[in-house]
Amino acid sequence: MPRIAVDPVTRIEGHLRVEAEVDGGVVTDAWSSCTMWRGIETILKGRDPRDAWYFTQRICGVCTTVHALASVRAVENALGIVPPLNAQLLRNLIALSQYVQDHVVHFYHLHALDWVDITSALEADPEATAALASSISDYPRSSPSHFEAVKQRLTSFVEAGRLGPFAQGYWGHPAYALPPEANLMAVSHYLDALDFQRDYMRIHAILGGKNPHLQTYLVGGMAVPIDPNSQNAINATTLLQLRKLLESGLRFVTQAYIPDVLAVAPFYTDWAAIGAGLGNYMSFGDFPTGAQNPSMDRDALYLPSGVIVGNDLSQVHRLDATKITEYVAHSWYSYEGGDGSPLAPFDGETTPDYTGPEPPYEFLDTDGKYSWLKSPRYDDMPMEVGPLARMLVAYGSGHERVQQLVNSVLETLGVGPEALFSTLGRTAARAIESQVLAERSLEVLDQLTANISGGDITIHNGDLWDPESWPQTASGFGMHEAPRGSLSHWVTIADGAIDHYQIVVPSTWNAGPRDGNGARGAYESALLNTPIADPERPLEILRTVHSFDPCMACAAH
Amino acid sequence: MEARKGSRDMTVSTIGGATLTEELEARGITRRAFLAFCTSLTATLALPSVFSERIAHALENSEKPTIIWLEFQDCAGNTESFLRAHNPGVADLILDVISVDYHEVIMAAAGHQAEAAKEEAIARGGHIVIVEGSVPTAGGGVYCTIAGKTALQHLEEAAVGAAAIINVGTCSSFGGIPAASPNPTGARGVPAVISGVPILNLPGCPMNVDNLVGTIAHFVTFGALPATDSEGRPLFAYGQRIHDNCERRARFDAGQFALEWGDEGHRKGWCLYKLGCKGPSTFHNCPTQRWNMGTSWPIGAGHGCVGCSEPDFWDTMTPFYARLPKPPGFNVTTTAEQIGLGIVGATAVGFGVHGVAKVIQHSREKTEASEQSDPAEDAGEESED
Amino acid sequence: MTIQPKPASVKIEKTPPRMTVKVWELPVRITHWVIFLAVVVLSVTGFYIARPFIIVGSDPGFLMGWMRAIHNLAAWVFIAAIAARVIWSLVGNRWSRWDQFLPVSRDRRTGGGETLKYYLFMRRDPAPEIGHNPLAGLAYLAVYLMFGVQIVTGFALLGLENPGGIFYNLTGWVFDIGSIPTTRLIHHMIMWLTWGFVVHHVYSAVLVDTEARNGLISSIVTGRKEVEESLLDE
Ligand code: HEM
Ligand code: HEM
Ligand code: NFV
Ligand code: SF4
Ligand code: SF4
Ligand code: F3S
Ligand SMILES: [Mg+2]
Repeated sequence: MPRIAVDPVTRIEGHLRVEAEVDGGVVTDAWSSCTMWRGIETILKGRDPRDAWYFTQRICGVCTTVHALASVRAVENALGIVPPLNAQLLRNLIALSQYVQDHVVHFYHLHALDWVDITSALEADPEATAALASSISDYPRSSPSHFEAVKQRLTSFVEAGRLGPFAQGYWGHPAYALPPEANLMAVSHYLDALDFQRDYMRIHAILGGKNPHLQTYLVGGMAVPIDPNSQNAINATTLLQLRKLLESGLRFVTQAYIPDVLAVAPFYTDWAAIGAGLGNYMSFGDFPTGAQNPSMDRDALYLPSGVIVGNDLSQVHRLDATKITEYVAHSWYSYEGGDGSPLAPFDGETTPDYTGPEPPYEFLDTDGKYSWLKSPRYDDMPMEVGPLARMLVAYGSGHERVQQLVNSVLETLGVGPEALFSTLGRTAARAIESQVLAERSLEVLDQLTANISGGDITIHNGDLWDPESWPQTASGFGMHEAPRGSLSHWVTIADGAIDHYQIVVPSTWNAGPRDGNGARGAYESALLNTPIADPERPLEILRTVHSFDPCMACAAH
Repeated sequence: MEARKGSRDMTVSTIGGATLTEELEARGITRRAFLAFCTSLTATLALPSVFSERIAHALENSEKPTIIWLEFQDCAGNTESFLRAHNPGVADLILDVISVDYHEVIMAAAGHQAEAAKEEAIARGGHIVIVEGSVPTAGGGVYCTIAGKTALQHLEEAAVGAAAIINVGTCSSFGGIPAASPNPTGARGVPAVISGVPILNLPGCPMNVDNLVGTIAHFVTFGALPATDSEGRPLFAYGQRIHDNCERRARFDAGQFALEWGDEGHRKGWCLYKLGCKGPSTFHNCPTQRWNMGTSWPIGAGHGCVGCSEPDFWDTMTPFYARLPKPPGFNVTTTAEQIGLGIVGATAVGFGVHGVAKVIQHSREKTEASEQSDPAEDAGEESED
Repeated sequence: MTIQPKPASVKIEKTPPRMTVKVWELPVRITHWVIFLAVVVLSVTGFYIARPFIIVGSDPGFLMGWMRAIHNLAAWVFIAAIAARVIWSLVGNRWSRWDQFLPVSRDRRTGGGETLKYYLFMRRDPAPEIGHNPLAGLAYLAVYLMFGVQIVTGFALLGLENPGGIFYNLTGWVFDIGSIPTTRLIHHMIMWLTWGFVVHHVYSAVLVDTEARNGLISSIVTGRKEVEESLLDE
C-alpha cells in the first residue's frame, strides 16, 4: 500500500504532518501528527493566577484573544468573581470581531489557494470578470479597469520570475475546476482581504492596545477604561469608530466573503460528499447576553451549546463538561497511572515522553505514539468542533438567524442539509457563521452604548483582586467557543499560586491522534475515501485538512 | 545569475531579475506615491528626512531580497503582526519589496515541494532568514520537527550563505515563553544556538511590524543591518525606555497614579506605575511608533507595560501586577516589602530576646554571688530554677 | 558615676585603672553620621520611589520628581562620605585602619572568638577592645561592601535614562548578569538589609556600652573612650 507524507502541511498555523495510505486513487487510512510542543501548562505552575491569561494568550497569535478569555473565565470561576456587564460586553465585542478577522484570513489567505489556481487568472478577461463579480454582489471594487490592473499586477509579478510564496504550488492540478474569471476575482479579493483584516483589527487596538496579543484582559474585568467625559477612555468618539469598523466587517462578509463561497461552491459540488468524517459535533456555545460566567450558566448564550451524535440533527444533547477526558495512548506523553485510560482535565497530566523516530526521519511509527497532541474525548466519543459543529448545534436548537442563513445557502446551491456534512459544508458554515456573528457584534455595541448612557462605566470587579482575599485552595474551569471550536481551561489555585493548569483545545479535538480504543480523530476520519488524482501533489488532502482551519500551536500548547 | 554573498554594495544592481523601478512603472505606481512611502519609512527608522531620497534611490535599484521565514516553537503572533503592515501593506511588501520564498503560513506549496522551494532559495545565497519562535535543544530537538528534521537542522541549513538572520519576536530573540521557567523543552533564542551570520533581534510579543519593515528597508538601503544595543536590538526601535517616551510620564513625575482598575486616575490616563507597569525597565518604541497604524498601544489603552521586549521577561517581569519581581524561593504572593519588613522585624525581635537573656544572665550571676557570701543563712531561700 | 563595689567574697579583683583614649578621629565620626543621615534620606525617598505612599490629588505637583532628585543628591553625599571613610582607612589612626575591618593579622582572625562567646552567653563581660572587635570589623566590612553594591546598582538604574551615557556604559553590565527588574529588587532589598543592620548595630552599641561602661556610644560623637590601661600596651 503506497504511503505518502505531507510535511509540512502549509497554510495553517503551526507544524502539522499528515500521513496517508492511498489505494485505488483514494485515501484508505490517515494519521494526523503535530510535530511541535512547548509545555505552557507546565510553565504555568507556581505563577500568579492573575498573570495566567497573559501566558496562555501566547499559546497562539492567530486566535490571539481566545486563550486569554478562557483563562480569565477559569480563574474567575475558581475564585467566584463575576465581572461587570461592560467587561462582558467588551469581551464579546473582541471575540466576535476576532471570529470575523480569523475566518476571512482563513478563507482568502489559507484555504482559497486549494480551490483557486492563480496562474489560470492570467488568462482571465477583465470584462467577463467584472460581469461575474457584479452578478454575485455589489462589492465596490469590481470594475473592468480594476480587474485589468489586478491582472497586470499579477502578470508582471509572474513575469519577474520570482514567484515568492506562490512558487511550486500545484498550479494546473486537475482538481482545480474554476474558470479563469473566477480565479482572477478571487485573487482580487485575496488582495483586498489583506487590507480589510488589517484595518478591521483596529477594533482590537482601540479596545486592547494592540493586535495581535491584546493587553486588556484582567481577572475580574477589563483594563480599558470607559468614561464619556475623558479623552483617555472609551467615549462617544471611540464608540463611533467601533461602529464604523464593525460595519465594515459586516459589509466585507456579505459583499465579498459569502458571495465568493457561493460563486466557488457550484464548481465543487462533488466536495459536498467528501470529508464528512466523524458525524459527532460539539459546541460549548458563547457570547453571554448578561454578566454571568458562561462556564457556570450555559443558558443565556447567543450561540447555544450542545452535542450532536451520528449526524442526527433532530436531537441536540445537553452538554455536560464532566464528560470531557483526554487520552495519550498514541500521544508522546505518559500518564502515571498508565496510558490505557483517559484523564479528566482537573486530574490531567502533561509529562512529555517522546517515543518517535530520531530526526531526520522519513515516516512515523503510527502503530505506537505519533503526535504531540492528546486525544480529547466527550463521553468517550471523538468529537468534531468548530464552525460546522456550531452551526449544526444552533440549527438543531432552533436558532432563528442561523436557520435562515443556512437554509438560504442550501437553497442557492440547490442541495439538502446532508450536504453540510462535508468539506464544502464545513467551508460554507464558516462563512455563514461570520455573517451571523458580524451582525451580532453591532447588537452588542448597541447594548454597550445603552449601558454606558445608563450611567454604568465600571469595567472591573476588584473585590477579590488582592490574593489575601482568596480561599486557601480553589479550582474552576473556563469555557470559550473559539473560532476553531470548543476551548476549555481548567485551573487549581493553592496559596495564591497556580497549582495545576490543564487546557483542552479545539484543534486538539479535531487533529488529535487515535485514542485508547483506536478511534480516529476528526481529521483522520474526514480524510478517509478522499480522491487522490496525483499522490505527488495531494491537493485533495489539503482541502479537507484546511476545511478544519488547523492551529497546531493551539492544539499542542 | 552570480550568487551574491554577504551584504551587497550600494551600487545599482540590475544583474538578472527586473529592478524595482521596472516593476513599479509596469504597475503604474506613481513615483510620488513611492516617495511618500520612503518618507514614512525614514521616520520609522528615526533617520533625518534627507535620507528618504537615499532610501528611494536604493529601493528603486535593488533586486528584491529573498526572505526565508522559518517558524519553530512559535505562536505565529509575528506572522499575524506581519499581516498588519500598513505603509507599505503586506501585499505591496510581498509583491514589490521582498520575495518571500518560504513561509509555512502563506506559501502555496506544501510537503516536499515547500522544502524544495526553500532549498532552492538557500542555494542562491544572499538571502535574509527571518526566524519566529524558539529553538528546542532538549531531547535532541524532538520538540520541533518539520519535514522530519529538527528546528536546529533547518536553522543551520538556512544560515549557510545567508546575508543576515532577523529574529522576529521575543521567542526567537531570547527564548521567549517556551524558555520560561522550567523550560521543559530546552528552548533557546537563535543567537544562543548559531553564529557566523549577522544577527539582529526584533523582540516584542509580538514584534511591531513597523520595526521589521524599517529593518528590511535599512538593510536594502545601506546594505547592512542597523546598529544594535548589547541585546542585538536595533537602536532605532529599542534605543530608549518606554518610561522615557511615555505620554503619562508627567503624571509619574507628579506622583499621580491610577490605584485601581477603573478609578478616577485610571479613567484620566494617570500613570500605571502602581498597577505594575514595567515601562521603567523596558526598551521599545511603543510610545512613539504605537501599534496597528498608530491606533494605540498597551499603556494608552489602560494596561501597564509588561516588558515583552526584554530577555526572560516571563520570569523577570512577573508577577505582572507587582512592582518588583518575585524574590526567588518565596511564594508568588509574598512581595519584596513583606520580606524586607520581615528581615528588620526578625532582627529586632532576635536581639530583643538576646537583650532580655543578657539581663537574666546578669541577675542570676548576682544572686549566685550573694549566695556565696552567706551560705548558711539563706540556704532554704534559694529555689533551684 | 560611683563604681558599684563588688561583693567582698567574690574573687577579689582590683578595679584596673582606666584612662581616656581618643579612638575615633573626626573624619571617622563625621563620615559615620553623614552616612547615617544620607541613608535615612535615601531610604525615605527610595521607599517612596518603590511604593509612592503619598496620594497626590488632582493638583499636579512634582512629588516623584523631587523624591528622585533628592534621592540622587543624597546618593552623591553618601558616596562622598563612603569614599572619604575608605581613604581615611589608609591614613587614619590605627583604630580606623582597613586592617580593623579586614582581619589580616592572626590575632584579628582569632580575637573574634571572645566576642562571640560574649554574645553566646559563654562570657560575662564584652571582650575588652579599644577599636572594633574583630567581629564588628567584619560586620562593618560587609556593610561597606553592601553599600558598594547599592552604589553600583543605583548608578545602573540611573543610567537607564540615558543609554550610551556615562553611567550606562560604566554599570550597564549589571543588567547582563541579572536583569533590570532583578537589579531594582537587589537595590530595594539592600535598603531593608541596611535597616536590619542598624537595629543590630544600635543594640550592640547600647549593650556593650552598658556592660563595658567605656562610653562607647558617646565615642562615635566625642571620639573618646575609657579603656583599661593594660589594653594600651598591646
Ligand atoms: C543605602 C543607600 C540607598 C538606599 C537605602 C536606596 C534605596 C532605594 C530604593 C528603596 C529604591 C526603589 C527601588 C524600587 O523598589 O524600585 C531606590 C531607587 C533608586 N535608587 Fe537608591 N538607594 C540607595 C542608594 C542609591 C545610590 C548610591 C544611588 C546612586 C545613584 C541610587 C540611585 C537610585 C535610582 C536611580 C533609583 C531608581 C529610581 C527610578 O526607578 O526612577 N540609590 N533606591
Ligand atoms: C545607617 C546607619 C548606620 C550605619 C551604616 C553605621 C555604620 C557604622 C560603622 C561602619 C561604624 C564603624 C566606624 C568606622 O570605623 O567606620 C560605626 C560605628 C558606630 N556606630 Fe554606627 N552606623 C549607623 C547608625 C548608627 C546609629 C543610629 C548609632 C546610634 C547609637 C550608631 C552608633 C555607633 C557607634 C557607637 C559606633 C562605634 C562602635 C565602636 O566603637 O566599636 N550608629 N557605625
Ligand atoms: N484550535 C485552536 Fe485556537 C482557535 N480558535 C484555540 O483555542 O487557534 Ni490558534
Ligand atoms: S514572541 Fe510572543 S508573539 Fe512572538 S512567537 Fe513568541 S509568544 Fe508568539
Ligand atoms: S505608565 Fe508606565 S511607562 Fe508610563 S510613565 Fe507610568 S510607569 Fe512609566
Ligand atoms: S508590553 Fe510590549 S508591546 Fe510595548 S508597551 Fe510594553 S513593550
Ligand atoms: Mg492540554
